[in-house]
Amino acid sequence: MNDKELLPWLEKATLGDESAFQLVYQATHQDVYRTVAFLVYNKQDIEDIVNEVYMRMWRSFHKYDPNRPFRFWLHGITIHLIQDWKRKAWRRIRLFERNRQMTCEQFDWTDRTVLQFEMQHELFRLIRQLSYKLRVVIILRYFHDYALEEIADMLQIPVGTVKSRHHLALKELRKRFEIKGGDEYVY
Amino acid sequence: MSIDKELREELRHMADSMHCPPDLYGRVRRSYQHYVNEKRGRSPMKKRMLAGIVAAVILIPSAAFASPYLADAIFGSSAAIEQRGGTKEDYQVIEGMLQTAKGKLTEDEFKEYMKLTKQLMQLKLKITDQNGNKHMDKLTNEEQKQFEQLGSKLAPYFEKINGTAKP
Repeated sequence: MNDKELLPWLEKATLGDESAFQLVYQATHQDVYRTVAFLVYNKQDIEDIVNEVYMRMWRSFHKYDPNRPFRFWLHGITIHLIQDWKRKAWRRIRLFERNRQMTCEQFDWTDRTVLQFEMQHELFRLIRQLSYKLRVVIILRYFHDYALEEIADMLQIPVGTVKSRHHLALKELRKRFEIKGGDEYVY
Repeated sequence: MSIDKELREELRHMADSMHCPPDLYGRVRRSYQHYVNEKRGRSPMKKRMLAGIVAAVILIPSAAFASPYLADAIFGSSAAIEQRGGTKEDYQVIEGMLQTAKGKLTEDEFKEYMKLTKQLMQLKLKITDQNGNKHMDKLTNEEQKQFEQLGSKLAPYFEKINGTAKP
């Protein structure tokens, strides 16, 4: 289902039509979930954020500009909430607990298949090791296929900053990839 | 293979293996229902809120302009001068004078003016009997002195009020 087809349903859902809600959820939830899961690793946090994204979707629908692609708006909300969450997480006093969690987080965040994939997929493991600021650019650029200008717009930072982060991320990936999996990597 | 292409493929591949947990649907649905209930419940509430705001908007200025009757600050209420042969009209005249003073004087000057006027009026009330006749001898020597001082202290304010009133 494309954006244009989805919009009337979304509007109905915001007015309280539950079947419209189901339809919107079905059409969007994998995308939202994956976007969040690429950027946040704790399973509980991922679910909290996905839930928040939907709340925000209903509440802010009146602010949506129909001239812009729906997905861009949706990803904007998602990224915004992830960053919100990161800020809050930063302030959390549960720092100690968090540190403890982080040590087992790598195995905790999703199911076994992912772990297996991670072992098979060196590049993915490297992406996950990038800092958030670099990773978000990589995800938006290569998973969602946004132009650097659109990413700048979404992250509300200058295009130059996006360019340099993009560049830095690729450099880092290349460097590590060459060292670790150089044989199969042809540039 | 270029790194661009490789990244795209890798992420697509990984994404396909990541599945939103099915029980998340229940949670999002509950939040949605909560949102719907809130929205439905809110509309009469919204109206009430709006009515409240409108009422406040109407009341606040009228309260700001009408309620602090300047003369009330001095006499408490019109009853004080009515007991001494004054009328409600007299009270209005005094109020008018005070309002003029408020318009002509600066804020600090007006504060001082009100303070002095209040003292003067207290003394005047003391010497005035029920029929409006004045008896200076009701005051102690000290109070008489104060009465005169107040008169001279207020004089420059009166000049200012009346002077600018008749340019």
